[in-house]
Parts: sequence; structure tokens; C-alpha cells
Amino acid sequence: MQSPFEGRQPLGVVYNTSMDRPDAVLALALLYGFQGKREARIGAVSVNGSGLGAAIFCDVVSRFYTPGPMRNANQTLLPGLAIDRPLPADNPMVTAAIARRNDQGDLQYARSVQKPSDTSLPEAVIRNGVIFNAEAVMILSAPATYLARSLNLEGVKDLYKSRVKRLVVVDSGKKQDVPAMRKVLAEFPSPVFFCPREMGEALLFPSASLDKDFAWAPAHPVVDAYRAYKQGAYDAPTYDMAAALYAVHPDKGFFQLSQEGAIQVGDDGGLRFAPGAGGKAKSLVFDPAQKDNILRTYVELASAKPVAPQQRFRPPQADKAAVQKEEKKP
Amino acid sequence: MIVTRKKLSRRTILRGMGAAISLPFLDAMTPAFAASTLPGGKPVRAAWFYVPNGIDMRHWTPGEEGPLTDLPSILARLDPVKNDLLVLSNLTANWGRPLLVGAGDHGRALAAYMSGMMVYRTAGADLKLGVSADQVAASAAGHLTKLPSLEIGLEETRQAGNCDNGYSCAYAYNMAWKTESQPLPPISDPRQLFERLFGTDIAESPEAHARRLAMRASILDGAGNDTKKLESSLGASDRRKLDEYLTSLREIEQQVQRAEKDGAIVDPGMEKPYGVPPEFPDYFALMTDILIAAWKTDSTRIATIMIGREGSTRAYPEIGISDGHHPLTHHMGNMTMLDKVRQINSLHLKLFAEFLVKLRSTPEGDSNLLDQSMIVYGSGLSDGNVHTHDQLPTILAGRGGDKFISPGRHIIYQRETPICNLFATMAERMGVTPEHLGDSTSRLAGLSLS
Repeated sequence: MQSPFEGRQPLGVVYNTSMDRPDAVLALALLYGFQGKREARIGAVSVNGSGLGAAIFCDVVSRFYTPGPMRNANQTLLPGLAIDRPLPADNPMVTAAIARRNDQGDLQYARSVQKPSDTSLPEAVIRNGVIFNAEAVMILSAPATYLARSLNLEGVKDLYKSRVKRLVVVDSGKKQDVPAMRKVLAEFPSPVFFCPREMGEALLFPSASLDKDFAWAPAHPVVDAYRAYKQGAYDAPTYDMAAALYAVHPDKGFFQLSQEGAIQVGDDGGLRFAPGAGGKAKSLVFDPAQKDNILRTYVELASAKPVAPQQRFRPPQADKAAVQKEEKKP
Repeated sequence: MIVTRKKLSRRTILRGMGAAISLPFLDAMTPAFAASTLPGGKPVRAAWFYVPNGIDMRHWTPGEEGPLTDLPSILARLDPVKNDLLVLSNLTANWGRPLLVGAGDHGRALAAYMSGMMVYRTAGADLKLGVSADQVAASAAGHLTKLPSLEIGLEETRQAGNCDNGYSCAYAYNMAWKTESQPLPPISDPRQLFERLFGTDIAESPEAHARRLAMRASILDGAGNDTKKLESSLGASDRRKLDEYLTSLREIEQQVQRAEKDGAIVDPGMEKPYGVPPEFPDYFALMTDILIAAWKTDSTRIATIMIGREGSTRAYPEIGISDGHHPLTHHMGNMTMLDKVRQINSLHLKLFAEFLVKLRSTPEGDSNLLDQSMIVYGSGLSDGNVHTHDQLPTILAGRGGDKFISPGRHIIYQRETPICNLFATMAERMGVTPEHLGDSTSRLAGLSLS
């Protein structure tokens, strides 16, 4: 496949999530923090294992962090959503955030996604998220169903091989789609890393920062979701945040790496890392000396203020009222 | 349907000087016809109509999914045939996007739309694309007919040069790509198209060809003896059908001749091929009439019709628009320009609707040509102002034979669904089952309600 890469572009991130835990919410904020610093850009977010509300939430967060005129699909892809019938129920944390209303009774947060057909086809958006970027990384924290499907598409293995620098597989204790995960591990053409459950549990997000570091925003969808997940103050494990931090900055010494080994998928859908075992994957290893540095980085990035993207096209100036008037013409 | 005792071959042709005229489906062909069709009955046809520069989507997309009731103003031109087509929303041609290469959307749009492949940026001879959807379909159905496929264009053609930010004109002027480097240029000259179908099977010396043109003789005249012989062997119903058919062919031929005559007095400064009717609606009707004749005679089952090359700057004085189409689509919200874009979009769709009505009124056995067809009408751009390649304007007309399609509805797919999913579904219906067609992810669901 011809590479259209011309010039250095920020690293693209494809985030495949179930968006049903507070660490997923915070990871999304962290990725937008990277985007604001031009250290990475979100290539695509795809949701499976959750309902429409999770996709709406991802869109709400996107709109929150990219103020200004709505970007078109040449620049930003709407979130993917696996439309299983029936759609799984949403976690109350996303429902609380997307349903929040302001003092006027209007929805607090702008959104482009309101119904399933406003979302993107998951396997296509995962692939297209890579196509949009000269270099990309992937974070898998959802059933591997759609990442596996994307591998079946024409030319995709070559595409991933040339563009995807690494895939980070998150173990949050959730059951995997066994055949799909095994397919991904067997066929993914780029280096694969494992972010073990213990990593997320060793690095708890300091919830006190919500009151302090996020206070610049009178209404913040990430804060709303975090607080709605569980009553009272709690420090959440940071499974996806750790994976995102490593995916974007593998060379900054936040984490140690194990020797090569195999990520194994049990028949029950559980994941484990087996050193050696003929595998080429590596597992992230917690370094206590880095704990404070990591937590500080989490807070700094996740609480960063939105940065307006560079506008590549002048937005259409059509006057809505005039359009409506024109539409009524015979 | 009356089946006569005479079993006439579906491949019967009337021969004469410079002529090899295929026949429409006659009752007498029924037994033979059944043996030469695709599985499932009568032949299925597929065509792709391409409109350049996107559409004013505010007046295109129906508000709701489901039955087509109140249509927005541009789509309202399809009202006479709205129960014979689907409006498909949210399909995407991903490789048309700027991605990392930047400008050149018009240079990529058509090529990426038809192939679902990356368009290699070159203005030279090292073209690289992929096999277009129509040619994938032709790989299955092409060998069954005189011509594997028919490429029609309603604008002048160019095959070389830099048309848009380093993209060869070949990408913007060709819909059909037989291989990744071989486009099939469209025919824009009505006579050339007509003769390709009906008049060039038998070798005719250049002198005889020139003599016949000079005398403005009909190619039908040369086949007079064959015609008489065939008529004597047909039943009354088939005789009437044959007469109607030959009369319609003659009418088309006369239109071509008239156009050539008109063309001769057109200001030579105008860049129009010889024989093109001066008025665009007449040109559209003439070329699509020839396509209908080709389908009636089963001379081909696959066609592409480029209403305008991508980035077309054609003006439409017939409807009072002297500005070029492409510049108008960069309206920046100017309502006067937007209104003109809407008028152009509406004109194209009105002409397309008239073509569909003609197909519907052309019987084929106990069906009609429209029901036996799958006809895509669309563009590789949606918003021509900002060059978006998603949420493409897409119509699928016809029933694809045996009620393969349940028309009369608006279907909204998920965003990023490749337009090639539709094309792969059509190709499969034509008899080929590509694992992938371009960037397709699967077949397109929901075309049928059964």
C-alpha cells in the first residue's frame, strides 16, 4: 500500500473501549490532554460491549475538548459503536453525564451523536483511524471482536504493519471474546504489549484532584461521570490510563518492561501474561519509583484545558433561517 | 406471455452492410433465453451514474428513515419513481479524503468512489488505482453479452495532464478501471456509442463507412433482408415488438443524425464533441436512450454513466445558469450560489428520473427493465464546498430482479460504512463474490425486506 505520509504528524491513537469504568473516562481525558499538547491525536474511538450512551459520552467529551465549529469527517471521525441487538445497557456513569442539564433546562454538553446511525461502523472506524495517521498506536480495552474483524479487511494487515507502532492490550479483569482475542494475538502484525490488571490497581487516580485541578470547568463531563460511577470519594484503578500513557510515551521511563512472553487467553475469557512461552509480547512492569511521576502526569494531562484545533477549512456560513425559507419554496 | 413454437436464439442478430443489430427479448426466445441468464431468471443489469462536485445535501437527505413520503426539494424530482428506489444515507468513500496528502479532493473523489482504493498521486503515466466496481461486476456478467460493459460520458474526455494538485486527469475523467492502471475511457459521442453497440460488428471499409455517413443512411437499411426473413417466422405479438423496437432504434439513429446536423452549425469555439446535442437535457436523454436500447437487446449488462467529470465546470444555460458548476459549489454559504447548485442538482435528478420512467415502461417478459436493474446514482463528494467524502448522496434504483431490492425507502447506515459495501453487494448479485471490493467491510444489509 502506498504511504501517503508527507511530513511529521502527531501520533494517532485508536482507542477501543467499553467506556464503562472511571479509568476509561479518565483515559479519554488524558488522550485529549496529549492532543492539546500536540503529542498525539485521537484517530478513532470505538465502543463495544456498551450501549449508545457510551458512544454519546465519547462524542460529548470530544466536543468538550475540541471547542469551536464542529469539525467535519475529513478531520474527526465520530465514535464507533457495535450495534448489537439488543444494545447493552449503559453504565449509569455515562448516563449521568450525557443527561446533565444546565440552569435553562437544556442539555449541558453539545453532541453530534444522538442515535445509533450517528455512530461509526466499528471495524471501519478502527481501520480508518489508522489510515488517518502516518503513525498510530492502538489501545484495546474492550472485547477484541471488532479489532479482529478489522484484520480481515483488504490490505489492513499491511496497513497496520507499516503504521501501527504498538498495540497495548489492557487487562481490567473483564472477560474477552476468546476467538477474537486469540486471532488478534496470532495475527496482529505490530508489537503487542500487555498492561496487567495489577498495574491499574497499583496506580490509583487521586480523586481529590477532581475538586482542585478540574475546577476550571464549572461543568466537566469526565468529572460528572467519575462522580456518578460510585458515591463518595474514591480513588479509581487506572487500567486504561496506564495503557494510554505507555502507548504514547513508551520511552519516557514510566514503566519497566518484562522479557518477551505470550499473552494467553483462557477459555473463560481471562487474560494472563506468560513470560517466555514462545511469545513476542512484553508486559508492562510497575516501577514504584515512578508512581508519583505517573500520577502527576495523569492529573496534568487529564485535567488540561481544551485547546482549539487548527481549522483546515473555513466553515460554511449558510444562514439557517435562509436555508429553511429556501426549503419552503415550491 | 405467448410462447410460440419457434425457438429463437437470444443471440439472434440482424446482419447487413455495416450492421449487426441485436434484438430485444421476444416471446419466441423464451426457451433459449432461460438458458443464458444468470441464476434466478432474467438478466440483471447494473449501472452507475456519477454526478460531480457533490450535492446540496440540505435539500437531499430525507428527514426520517423508512418509507419515502415527503421528499426534500432536490429529491422531489424523483417523486414519479420514488417507489422504485432506495435512498441510502451515511455511506463513505474513505480514500477520497485528504488524509495525509492534502488537497486534490476532486482529483481523488471519482476514482476512490468507484474503486474503494487509494488514488496514487501522479500526473504522469504511472497511474495506480484499483479495479472499479463496475468492472468487478463485469468480470462475472461481461462474457454473457456482446460488450462486457459500456462506458458513457456526458462531457469531453481527457486522459492525461494534471487536473487537480498532481492527480492525473485520468482519475477525474474515467469511472471504469479494468485494472489498477487501465482506465476505460467513456464514450461521449452519441454516434460512436450507437455504432459501438449496433454498427461495427461486421467489417466495413472506411470508404463504405464514410459513404454511408455521407448519405446519412440508416444501418437498419442494410439489415432489411434479415429483418423480413425474421418477421415471417414470428408470431403477431413478436412481430409487433420487433417493429416497435426497430422503430425506436431508427428514432435514436435519427436523433443522432439530427444532433450531428445541429452540431455542424454550433459555434466551433465550443469544446463539444461532434454530434452532441447542444442542449444538455437532450444529450442526457439521447445517451440514456442508447443505454436502454443496449439493455433491451442484452448487448451489455454493465454500464457507467459519467454525468460530468469530477470537478466539472459545465454551465447550464438551459436553466439560466451561466456560471460553472464547480465554482458554484464553492459557495462559502452564498445563498445565490447555493440556489444555483440546487437547480443543477435538481436538473440532473429530473433527467435521471425520466430515464427511470422509460426503463419502467420498457417491458421485459412479465417484468420491466427497471425491475431487472440496480442503478446507482451518486457522487464521491457530499458537501462540495468543504469536500467531504462521507454521508454521500446515494440512490439505488430498481429491484435487481426477483425482488432482490425492496425499494421505496430511506435507509440510514452507520457512519463510515463504505460505499463499496453497496458495490460488493451489487457485484455479488451480478454473479461474482469478491471477498473484498475495495475497502468494503461486508455486504450492505437491509436492501431487501424479505
